[in-house]
Amino acid sequence: MLSPIIGGILMGIDRKLTARMQSRMGPPLMQPFYDAIKLWGKEPFIASSLQPVLAFGYLGFSVAAFALLAFGQDMLLMIFTMAIADLCLIVAAFNSKSPYSNIGARRELIGMMSYEPVMLLAAISIFFVTGSFMIDSIYVINQPLLTFLPLTFLALIPVLIIDMKKSPFDVSGSGHAHQELVRGIYTEFSGYTLALVELGHWTKVALLLGFASLFWAQNLIIGTVLAFALFFVVLVIDNSYPRLDWKTMIKTTWIVGFLLIIANIAGLIARMVILS
Amino acid sequence: MNGDVLLALTIGFPPLAGLLCYALNNKTARRLIVALTAVVLIGSSILLYQGGGFAYEPAPIFETVVLVLDLALLAYFLYAGYKNRSWLVIGLAALQLVPVAYFEFGLGGMAVEPMIVVNDLSLVMSLIISIVGSLIVVYALSYMDEHEHHLHIEQSKQPRFFFFMLLLLGAMHGLVFSNSLYWVYFFWEVTTLCSYELIRHDGTEIAIKNSLTALWMNLLGGVGFVAAIYIGYYFMGSLSIEELTQYSAAPISLLLFATLAFAAFTKSAQFPFNKWLQGAMVAPTPVSALLHSSTMVNAGIFLILRFAPAFRGTSLSYAVVLIGAFTFLITAVLALNERVSKGILAYSTIGNLGLIILCAGINTPLGYAAALTLLIFHSVSKGLLFLCAGVVENRVHTRLIEDWEGLLAKLPTTTIIMVIGMLSMFLPPFGMLIGKWAAIDAISSSPSMGSLLIIMLVLVGSAATTLYYAKWLGHLLVLPQSGKKLGEESLPLPYSISMFSFLSLGIILGAGVSMVLGALVIPAMPAGYINSLTGSLFEVSTGFGSFITYPFWIGAIAIFMIGTYIAKRKGGVVKPPYVSGENVSDNPEAFKTTADTQVPIQVSSLFMDNEFSSTRVLSYGVIAGTLLVMIMFLTVVL
Amino acid sequence: MKTMTKARLKSPWVMHFDCGSCNGCDIEILAALTPKFDVERFGIVNIGDPKQADVLLVTGPANKRNQRVLKNLYDQMPQPKAVIAIGECACSGAIFHNCPNTLGGVDKVIPVDVYVPGCAARPESIVDGVVLALQKLQKVSEGEKVD
Repeated sequence: MLSPIIGGILMGIDRKLTARMQSRMGPPLMQPFYDAIKLWGKEPFIASSLQPVLAFGYLGFSVAAFALLAFGQDMLLMIFTMAIADLCLIVAAFNSKSPYSNIGARRELIGMMSYEPVMLLAAISIFFVTGSFMIDSIYVINQPLLTFLPLTFLALIPVLIIDMKKSPFDVSGSGHAHQELVRGIYTEFSGYTLALVELGHWTKVALLLGFASLFWAQNLIIGTVLAFALFFVVLVIDNSYPRLDWKTMIKTTWIVGFLLIIANIAGLIARMVILS
Repeated sequence: MNGDVLLALTIGFPPLAGLLCYALNNKTARRLIVALTAVVLIGSSILLYQGGGFAYEPAPIFETVVLVLDLALLAYFLYAGYKNRSWLVIGLAALQLVPVAYFEFGLGGMAVEPMIVVNDLSLVMSLIISIVGSLIVVYALSYMDEHEHHLHIEQSKQPRFFFFMLLLLGAMHGLVFSNSLYWVYFFWEVTTLCSYELIRHDGTEIAIKNSLTALWMNLLGGVGFVAAIYIGYYFMGSLSIEELTQYSAAPISLLLFATLAFAAFTKSAQFPFNKWLQGAMVAPTPVSALLHSSTMVNAGIFLILRFAPAFRGTSLSYAVVLIGAFTFLITAVLALNERVSKGILAYSTIGNLGLIILCAGINTPLGYAAALTLLIFHSVSKGLLFLCAGVVENRVHTRLIEDWEGLLAKLPTTTIIMVIGMLSMFLPPFGMLIGKWAAIDAISSSPSMGSLLIIMLVLVGSAATTLYYAKWLGHLLVLPQSGKKLGEESLPLPYSISMFSFLSLGIILGAGVSMVLGALVIPAMPAGYINSLTGSLFEVSTGFGSFITYPFWIGAIAIFMIGTYIAKRKGGVVKPPYVSGENVSDNPEAFKTTADTQVPIQVSSLFMDNEFSSTRVLSYGVIAGTLLVMIMFLTVVL
Repeated sequence: MKTMTKARLKSPWVMHFDCGSCNGCDIEILAALTPKFDVERFGIVNIGDPKQADVLLVTGPANKRNQRVLKNLYDQMPQPKAVIAIGECACSGAIFHNCPNTLGGVDKVIPVDVYVPGCAARPESIVDGVVLALQKLQKVSEGEKVD
């Protein structure tokens, strides 16, 4: 349940760091919370009667996925639950006949198609190490995952970029100051529905970073530091690159993601063969 | 009830009922006969299932009957090829007729004891055929009325239609219960006949053309069967499937299995034999639902599953995996560009069959269990989708998904059922996803080196699947901006019975997946396969991971209830979409352009025509598929 | 609600609409968003979507062509909202006020809460104007019942 709050703090840190990278002061850390509360108090405008339900679905399933992570459940199930959450958002965006919303939703679908296989493959590579798809089996191995799967860890970078909607892959919804698509997938959300969507987004970010922290599950502090390192790298990339197009998104995510993970698994197999 | 009576009912009753339908050109009689057949079939299957496996030796007269019917059938195919000037059909039919005639008369045939074996796998198939199949035929009662009304057909062709539909149900039962390879072959070709006749039912030029394609491709599979019969006769001395599955790994028996796999690929429309299934979509929708998604194409799967234990661990098994995986990926990608609803469903069917075949080829206990799970759930979900697509098509008179936008307002009941059907194809907690999840576990844990390649094909294909279903779904659910209330929809009784039954099946089986595993999947596993896919009240586990079931369902329902509650509490004014301030005040679905004209807001769907050409990918796919099949035979021979 | 008011003050999302100005004021608005003036530290974000904006920044005079669009955008903003007219043209029409197609200042079409004069208005004035609008929002938020 705390996941949206954790996520919110992360987004606050995100905006502050981004600002500092751009040589300015940036909003206070609690800014995302002010945003969310303010949104909740706006006069409600909705695009259709289905939209708020789906917006809550996005939040609800993101929290459910986070719960699966926190309770050490099956990684594949967690990823599929994330997919349901995303789908709620996408269908909510398709729900109104708005061109901007529609384009954003389509691109978000392409984004999902880009990062889902990579994340699933990362889960499978973890399976090769631990022999199980359950997250709580990561806690019992004697060495941190990072020592086995450094490349898989790096392959999470494009996944995180797409999901956090940072450049170069923020083709679908964009962050805060971009206006190519008006607000892309978020265009028709306003007031409390947008607040729900924002909370859902924060939860997803918290979820992904939590997944990253599993790579040093033995020590909570180092795990958190690891997650932050990933977060920081994403921010640096965000501030260095402009938005690229969706074709580049698929190609880069698949090539980088798949190659890194396959190389990792090959390395593991080679190591097993050499040692035996 | 006695086993033999039940067998007679499942195999013999449907064709007789069909003949009755054919003879009595009366609508009410048809409805009664179909309803009666449904009850008889479903009842018999359930009773058979409860009785468990057994063997049965029918009276010798039946062997003669089968032989006579088989020769007549092949002669009819020859005639059909001659009449339509299709050399392929003539050639392939002759290629079957001559060796079969020689086999029976020249070589004296081969006796098999017992002729009929009912085992757990065939019981599962029988349940699927009876329940899914009967419901589809019930649905067809209304569909064909509307169809013929729409096409302004004076002289109803429904007697003929229902004869072949019911004949198929009987033939499928014969197929799954036969123990003699020759009898299986016979029933297999009867299904080919039904497919041919039903595809060409409307009599249009394209229907006839596509029916011939279906005919020759399926006949090609039949030739494979004949080859298998000869191999069995000369080299193994037996045509009993029970005995043949005991032979394993000797090269000649592998060749037998390869020819049977070849036949299965033609029947299940795997690449390179995909074209006929796509072409078969011109047929009336119940045909697509019954033959080409939920029932007949399962025959190929059944064959592979039946023989899989025999070629476990061989390179043939791996070749089967490769063909299934390749088909799964390429159909998922091609479906992205498809604009016709039934075309998308056809690709989805071929792809999912590929996934099932892939799991069967993996041939570990987990893989086998995953294949069975996918088989059961795919039949239900895909059947449901075809039924709904048929209703929509009859009401809206278009098959293009872009024209199906906003269907929720026009046909709310059907749209909601269709949406749930789509969700059941690729989302948790429904059964298809559980099957796919088990499949991923199975591939990852299988000991072969190539599993990494296979898993990538599956993951990418799975992502593409999500894409094409989600965009279709999104499009369906566009609500009208003007806040008009949802339209009313009336469904005639056959529609509502069949669609709601399917829906309930999908939900109940999905929620009760553990029970499905215990009751259907695990018993159907072959001997020696120590099952690792188990289910309990709360979860399904594969030994490598577990999938919580009931908590998930409860959670999902809770999320939707809370969401609806919040929506009601906060309410909200429905506002038109943002179009840069150019909204027209009294028409929320239009905007003003420069000349102050009103233009309706149009949003289209996502297709990737600019990125890749479907025809090119199809041709490369067929070439690649052909290569893979050749490789399959090479691995056996070398 | 005290928290709600605080949140509203801390997070004014801005939408900017140009009614037909010479772009001078628009450039000054965008300059206010750059790191030199950095209005994001007040939580101001340039959101392009009226459905998500709290404050509407308008430049340029209202005229017969764009009054419909302006009204449309204003209606698409949910309450509580504020409108700031930036620059002389938006305030009163300036030197164009008696042209045949001009209606005058923006307040001829939509209610304006704060007027920021200048030609072009300086970024500091713009920020000042936003602060004033926020104070007005606070009074509205606390004084009246808000839904």
